[in-house]
Amino acid sequence: MSYSLDFSVVVARLPELLLACLATIGLSLAGMSLATVIGVLGVIARRSRFRLLRGLVIGFVELIRNTPFLVQIFFIFFALPQLGLRLNPTVTAIIALGLNGGAYAIEIIRGGVDAIPKGQVEAGLALGLHRAQIFRHIILKPALRTVYPSLTSQFVMLTLTTSVCTSIAAYELTSVAQKIEADTFRSFEVYFSITILYLIISSLMMGIFALISRFSFNYPVK
Amino acid sequence: MKTNLKIGRRTLLALVAATAAFPFLTPADASAASLADAKAKGKVVIGIQGDNAPWGFVNSTGVQDGLDADIGKAFAEHLGLQVEFTPLAVANRIPALVTGKVDVLFATMGMTAERAKTIQYSKPYAGNVLSVYGPKDKKIAGFDDLTGMSVGVPKSSAMDTAITAGAGSKANILRFDDDAANIQALIAGQVEAVGGNQFYGDRLNAAAADKYETKFDLVTLYNGAGTRPGEKDWNEAINSFIDKIKADGTLAKIYAKWMKRDVPSFPDALPDIPFTVK
Amino acid sequence: MASIGPNELFFLMQGLKWTLALTLVGFIGGGLFGLIVALTRTAQNDLVRRTTTGYIAVFQGTPLLMQLFVVYYGVALMGFNVDAWVAVAIAFTLHASAFLGEIWRGGIQAVPKGQTEAAKALGLHYVSMMKDVILPQAFKISLPATIGFLVQLIKGTSLAAIVGFVELSRAGQIVSNQTFRPLTVFALVGVIYFLICWPLSLWGARVERRLSTASR
Repeated sequence: MSYSLDFSVVVARLPELLLACLATIGLSLAGMSLATVIGVLGVIARRSRFRLLRGLVIGFVELIRNTPFLVQIFFIFFALPQLGLRLNPTVTAIIALGLNGGAYAIEIIRGGVDAIPKGQVEAGLALGLHRAQIFRHIILKPALRTVYPSLTSQFVMLTLTTSVCTSIAAYELTSVAQKIEADTFRSFEVYFSITILYLIISSLMMGIFALISRFSFNYPVK
Repeated sequence: MKTNLKIGRRTLLALVAATAAFPFLTPADASAASLADAKAKGKVVIGIQGDNAPWGFVNSTGVQDGLDADIGKAFAEHLGLQVEFTPLAVANRIPALVTGKVDVLFATMGMTAERAKTIQYSKPYAGNVLSVYGPKDKKIAGFDDLTGMSVGVPKSSAMDTAITAGAGSKANILRFDDDAANIQALIAGQVEAVGGNQFYGDRLNAAAADKYETKFDLVTLYNGAGTRPGEKDWNEAINSFIDKIKADGTLAKIYAKWMKRDVPSFPDALPDIPFTVK
Repeated sequence: MASIGPNELFFLMQGLKWTLALTLVGFIGGGLFGLIVALTRTAQNDLVRRTTTGYIAVFQGTPLLMQLFVVYYGVALMGFNVDAWVAVAIAFTLHASAFLGEIWRGGIQAVPKGQTEAAKALGLHYVSMMKDVILPQAFKISLPATIGFLVQLIKGTSLAAIVGFVELSRAGQIVSNQTFRPLTVFALVGVIYFLICWPLSLWGARVERRLSTASR
């Protein structure tokens, strides 16, 4: 018997796939926003005077970074309802992506914050700035600039991770691809095409991140 | 000093060329083994479900077990060959067969006209009533009652096909990786109803006694073995094997062991699903 | 309601065995090919360098899940009749080779240029220069990142579950469905992953600290 490749099934369902690409991008952007918020708040909590709070953040970061995303999303979707918390697939996906990305963001941003010379903060204090001002202008902003490349590449990884959300039946590119595969049995053709779509999405994202960096960080460093 | 580099380059270029040619390849033969090949190798590779008890599942000692496993073993014995099981997920079954990863499927393959376009079915050897299951306190008598509900199904299963056809535009259908995830979604309350097979009732009852019930039947599916289309050798071997185990009581014994019920009566023909290679 | 007994634990351990096997194969295979990737990525020839850069970009720019699917269905189409688990192992090997190659590329380039020049001045040929001078230093520099990737790989093997592999995550899914205790089972599965990955992460962090103090 012979098996010949036939990409026409993919072409026929392209509108559906492109719509699903938008869903994947939407899921990613929502996940990134949540991750950034968790990242910044986490770094603030990590520098808190309260030992318990610091410990909680460290525990959270280690827990998330040392367990698979699939297990995390299964836990939220299948196990939390046992405790009375029931979230639909899309919300589950955004929260799982945000928590996962957030844990990495905390570590990345903290690295940038730690790299700020102590003298800068002392200079801020000498100028009479209060704590919030110092954190925002002297610590966070320059730190974010330093960590921008690592943070954005982490976000591209987050975008690729959205494909795992198919296991809780969230609406995104991979789940739509699996539906098409089920209808047509053209597994290789479908997944090969989807892989290219993901490559385009991640390249676009890297391009946009590079553009943003050019426009927002174009003031001189020294 | 360049010698090592050159080898690296060549290997890489070959790799690149292979990768580049990849999507354009039209392989004539995905190394699908014929019955004679299998006999020469002394073993038959059977595609089976890995986690769909009591049909086909890997038991707690890591051994393939279930109705399909017993029938697969009997088939290999019938041919005088060793048996090798390849556990497959629901959505992988047909691709694994057509790409030659397995010789035949005893993989709880419900016989549908849609699938019969891609694979060759044997005569049916098992039956399976597919239904919609839901909580007792919800009124679900037909597809119309599913309007606006979230309904779980295993991806690419016959339940998926039936519910998508009946309520695809009305219900919010969530497709899970397998039966395990689908059942869990119902128990966790992530979906309000699920499409399931005749064993969902027992499973759901074990999870929460008297909470769930069968709402309405979708279809009775007959399971047949699957082979690649046009392969007369495999198809004929399986059909004569199925006739034999139906006649000599082997099927009844296996059925009683796993299904805890009598062998259903099988139709002699199903519309658009030929049992033999034409 | 069923409880989680020795049978269920045993089943999870069977899954864990596959998780570890896939990780091991991916890491060793990926390490061997990754070395080739790192060397070609730092090669002088433009075409070779660019091809490898493209190879890395593809694997870093697409989801691991898709790589698994494409290789899983692709090797069969290319005419190789292999076990499902071999197909998955190939996918992890390719995936790991791209990431390890890129990590080690960074390590090779972080070795001061003077070292290469000194080796050349001493008349060492390419193999000896790489093997005796550059690579040992490069591996040392990239050890933390290599350990970090190993942790990613262990977690990544969970995606083999979606292709139908009964490794730790899927074993957890099955046990959870048999016992109807998703909370306990998924927490347990998470703890098992954590117990494997966390010591590695700690080790990686320690090596990184030691390297950074050493370079001061």
